[in-house]
Amino acid sequence: MTSSSDTIVQPADAAGRINIDPRWREATGRGVTVAIVDSGIDTSHPDLDGKIISSVEARLEDRRVVFEPSSAGDSAGHGTACAGIVAQIAPDVEIHSIKVLGAGGIGDGQAFLAALEYAINCRYRVINLSLGTTKPQFFSPLHDLLDRAYQAGCVVVAAANNLPQPSFPSIFSSSLIAVTKSSTTDPFDFGFNFGEVIELTAPGVNVRTAWPNGGYRNLTGNSFACPHVSGVIARLLEYHPEFTPFQVKTALYSIAKENQFAKGLERPAIG
Amino acid sequence: MSQDNGLSEKLRRLVETVDAASLLTEPLTSSIHELLKVSAMEVGAREASVLVRDGTTGDLRFLAATGAAAPQLMKMKVPAGKGIAGFVISSGQPMAVADVDEEASFYAEVDKATGFSTEMLLATPLSYHGEVIGVLEYVNRPGEPPHQPFTPEEMDKAALFGEAIASLVNAYESAKIFRELGEKVVGGSDEDFELDSIREWLEGVRSSAEHREMMDLAILIREVASRGENERALCREILGSVLKYSKSRDETNYLGL
Repeated sequence: MTSSSDTIVQPADAAGRINIDPRWREATGRGVTVAIVDSGIDTSHPDLDGKIISSVEARLEDRRVVFEPSSAGDSAGHGTACAGIVAQIAPDVEIHSIKVLGAGGIGDGQAFLAALEYAINCRYRVINLSLGTTKPQFFSPLHDLLDRAYQAGCVVVAAANNLPQPSFPSIFSSSLIAVTKSSTTDPFDFGFNFGEVIELTAPGVNVRTAWPNGGYRNLTGNSFACPHVSGVIARLLEYHPEFTPFQVKTALYSIAKENQFAKGLERPAIG
Repeated sequence: MSQDNGLSEKLRRLVETVDAASLLTEPLTSSIHELLKVSAMEVGAREASVLVRDGTTGDLRFLAATGAAAPQLMKMKVPAGKGIAGFVISSGQPMAVADVDEEASFYAEVDKATGFSTEMLLATPLSYHGEVIGVLEYVNRPGEPPHQPFTPEEMDKAALFGEAIASLVNAYESAKIFRELGEKVVGGSDEDFELDSIREWLEGVRSSAEHREMMDLAILIREVASRGENERALCREILGSVLKYSKSRDETNYLGL
């Protein structure tokens, strides 16, 4: 470890309890990489100026998905909206756009799997998946990829779909962080529902964020709660680059408990 | 002569199937339309529409819509991956937008063509057995402005209506495939017998949710069978029991297939 000892708080004390540097609340996500696997990003949006470090797009080559530099932007708006939310919370984060939706000629599921593998190979610290699939044939390969992400130290954040059918990968609660929307407006006021399939709640109702062509939109959906959590994790990782995905989740749990305690909803867990 | 008899018998059966399929599609579209009207009231929306995949290009077309702009909408297509509907069908994620009219977008193009003004939108995927087959959209609020954005509770309601509408859409699409084949074979001109045309139709069949589901099942059975005789015997026994159970249930398979 080369960082000076006065800026690093050890992730766990002798008893194994997690310590979170309180400065994370003022952090900006500096030096942390976030991959947005989505519909692409409009890099010319003023809110995202200089924040999009790379943009790639899925393309089919000899029945294999390959990723090439992309200047196609965002035809749907969703990826730009997600990047805008991450940038609001962690303005100095390094965003990498992986366009899989709207990439012509490739099955959505196939591109989605390839994009996740690409992001893991690039070792992006946070991988934002504001999308999912209900196709059962993707259950097993997604599970394998998420295990690989977990072992590689990539924190995968996925949006639940709130539909009657289970959506992958958001239901894999052990190896990723799954998020559903709440109507709170404070980005740090997220909740943790231990024991539920979807553990985290974050702002996702009428969220004002960037939209292609320099615009803004008020959007509602779990897919907009997900980048809130990605942004918060980027802040945490700025002060705790050594955190594993498990420790990130533990830290989120601890902060959520503090939030609930502050609101008088529940006493924090002891020990 | 006997060959001719065989052919005419086959054609007669085909005509019957086609007619049955045609008879099925009309009540299905009526049901979808009625359900759209009822659900729009429940969700608090002014209008509603259903979009489905158009062939294998990834484009979307309107299958049903309420309101005065419906006839124009039915002629329109949404290019692959474009707009909110394009995102919802690809991602499987529902979403609501409170201020669609803030800038020029795909919806501005639709509005220009229909004379309608899209202010807010709620879009939820239509899934059938794990496959996203379309998008259910609710547009604007009824009454005088100012209008409140769609709420999370209304999104949940839309998802429930989506369940029912997805089943009808899937049934419609299946019936439509039969109807189109019939039209090609029975009523079509010589041009319709071109290989390209038949190939396109087959692509349609193969890309349908139902067909893909059957193929997945076939792959699964093949994998189990390759494991050995014991697995094959167990698989046979389990499938036999499932079939027996299924037959014992009081269900009607309208096409008898």
